[in-house]
Amino acid sequence: MSLRSVAGLVAAAFVAIASPALAQDSAPAPLSAEARVEAFAKLPYWPGYWVSEQYQNTTIGGSAPARPAGSPPLQRLNGFNAPFNEEGKRQQAENARTRAGRRADGWGYPMMMDAATPFQVTITPEETVIINAYGESRHIYTDGRGFPPEEDLFPTVWGTSIGRWEGDTLVIETIQVQMPYTYFHGGPPFSEQAHYYERLRMEGDYLVLDFRVEDPVTLTEPWSATIRHVREAGYDRMMRMDFSNDRTGQEDGVNTIEPPADEPEGQ
Amino acid sequence: MRFQIACAGALALALAGGGAQAHHSFAMFDLSKEVTVSGTVKQFQWTNPHAYIQLVAKDEQGRDVEWSMEMGAPMYLYARGWRPRTLRQGMRINVKLNPLRNGRPGGVVRDVTDSTGKPIGTNR
Repeated sequence: MSLRSVAGLVAAAFVAIASPALAQDSAPAPLSAEARVEAFAKLPYWPGYWVSEQYQNTTIGGSAPARPAGSPPLQRLNGFNAPFNEEGKRQQAENARTRAGRRADGWGYPMMMDAATPFQVTITPEETVIINAYGESRHIYTDGRGFPPEEDLFPTVWGTSIGRWEGDTLVIETIQVQMPYTYFHGGPPFSEQAHYYERLRMEGDYLVLDFRVEDPVTLTEPWSATIRHVREAGYDRMMRMDFSNDRTGQEDGVNTIEPPADEPEGQ
Repeated sequence: MRFQIACAGALALALAGGGAQAHHSFAMFDLSKEVTVSGTVKQFQWTNPHAYIQLVAKDEQGRDVEWSMEMGAPMYLYARGWRPRTLRQGMRINVKLNPLRNGRPGGVVRDVTDSTGKPIGTNR
């Protein structure tokens, strides 16, 4: 028996041992080219760099401009006024206690849907991808699949989503989201058992998100909010960069600015 | 004066409530104070999670002090008309900022003007 044959037998044995644990592919068969063109033609198109109304015209300092006096308050996804139970209040207090000295690499879900960081929505028959300028992305599968089986689920910052179209409204369900405030200090204290429901659609020039969350761990009842997104002016491309210069340090439990690193070339 | 202080307080509250920075809170900055620093650009860092202006300015004793002036992420600057080479080494500029609470020469940038007082980019 040659070495190659032995190697083949070993590989086959490994596959035979490993196979029982492998889950089935949950993606439906691809559409034919013709069917895909037809499916595309029925879908809406939401071009633009979207930010929530709260953050339109974010300043060069990274702040939302003050809204005109008397403006009605905007709903937010941070959950400040959600009906928290004792565990939810405890988590909310813990976040308030620790947030001053923390830093994040992005918004995570759900806050990336109520953010200053612009996102784009790419709609295809199989999935809608929402991706923002920090590279945070949500893959919302609309090919008819359900959620992965329990053995395939694991919590992430952006969760696991599936969706379907009701006319021109994208209906989304999301589960397995890590406790949002642990990634971004401004996030709500919902547990990993939370189940999120969204309806995303155009109303005039607004991309409107109806948001609802059910969380038996932290909420006494479901909580809802509506966020309107506007097309932010000034973008002709996504300004996408890595986090190469994090100078946020910490001093006495509060952040500060660290001195600059070595001078980069070309300056 | 009382009215001005009240307005400053309201502004600080609005800014604190409207903080857009995904990276950290604004607790490190004194949002009730605004100072304007004039100096020479040593470096403009067009980077995530924040852009920074390194500005060399004279202190009250006439000594050079290097300020670290934090801005939002480049995406926010881009939308307000800023570009990676908007500031170059040696440029004279004026920067209005909210200073760091810890007294170090730094803060979060509110507005920038050139040596003639003309705004750089837009901010409203």
